[in-house]
Amino acid sequence: MAHRTTSTEFWDGFLQSLPLWMGVAPFGAVYALAARAAGLNAPETIGMSVLVYAGSAQFAAAALFAGGAGALAILLTTFIMNARHILMSASLAPPLRRYPALSRAGAAFVVVDESYAMSVSRVLGGSGPTFLVGAGVSLYLAWLAGTAAGVAITLGLARPGSVGLDLVFPLSFFVLLLPYLEAPPERIAAVVAGGLGLASRLFLPGPWYLLIAAIGGMLAGDASASRGPKVTRKRGAAAE
Amino acid sequence: MTPAERHWLIIAGMAAITYALRAAPLILPWRPIDVRIEQRLRYLPPALFAALIVPSLLAPAGTVQGGVRLWAGLLGLAVGWRTRSIPVTILAGLGSFALLRWLVP
Repeated sequence: MAHRTTSTEFWDGFLQSLPLWMGVAPFGAVYALAARAAGLNAPETIGMSVLVYAGSAQFAAAALFAGGAGALAILLTTFIMNARHILMSASLAPPLRRYPALSRAGAAFVVVDESYAMSVSRVLGGSGPTFLVGAGVSLYLAWLAGTAAGVAITLGLARPGSVGLDLVFPLSFFVLLLPYLEAPPERIAAVVAGGLGLASRLFLPGPWYLLIAAIGGMLAGDASASRGPKVTRKRGAAAE
Repeated sequence: MTPAERHWLIIAGMAAITYALRAAPLILPWRPIDVRIEQRLRYLPPALFAALIVPSLLAPAGTVQGGVRLWAGLLGLAVGWRTRSIPVTILAGLGSFALLRWLVP
């Protein structure tokens, strides 16, 4: 790869990510609808996409804003939802060590699920951070374009909540959840979290239901997996 | 603090947390993450999604709420189960909400 220029690597990453715009841009629009329904104004909705660039965490934050949650609950939820990025960046770190700290710091901003998926094999193969940055910038533009489109739609609606837009949260997360339900430990994690979430939403004050349910479900899934790892793995593989 | 200032402070905090999580392993001296933590985090996404879905569908304001919104939501879930497409699922949910609202004033 020595003959390949940095600019070629960047544009390879950028262009190869274009098909993923199909998924990222509509999700950005859906986020914007949800955030507007939750009471964020247009600059706040767009500003969050510019500064945070994390789809599901922004979604969850909008849901919490809608429920009147406090700052601490929103920030803790952001931390929990994006904790997986530590694992992704950690896996990319060893081959990137020999690159300048500044380029690593820049690449870190665009480590999202989709750019990571596109570039992990190249980065681990030693071709540096440029392809990752190209993919990440491409998907960032898709995210911003989708957000802007969603905001444009909501500006035509007087009260976004009145047309049932708050249903966008549970429906979208349901589709994101479905692939996980094929493996038994993940299924147990979801069922326990759903039950715990409803119970603590009904009987506890404040927005802590989300953290209680997520951590409880995670531990339940982990416990069920370590009880019978071989059986569950096989069943999970067969279901896929 | 005005509500607008509060919103922007929260957004800035979210941005700082998210960037710190992405950048820490790439900037700080790297060491392998505890295997147990990594294993548990595997089950975080399904748990988190379910925790977001169930209360907001059944008890959006903290008490169980039935009616048009719930039926439209359940119809949306059925379409999501079949199509596995976020845009189609949302359209089905919002479409049936509008239709049921019109049929059941």
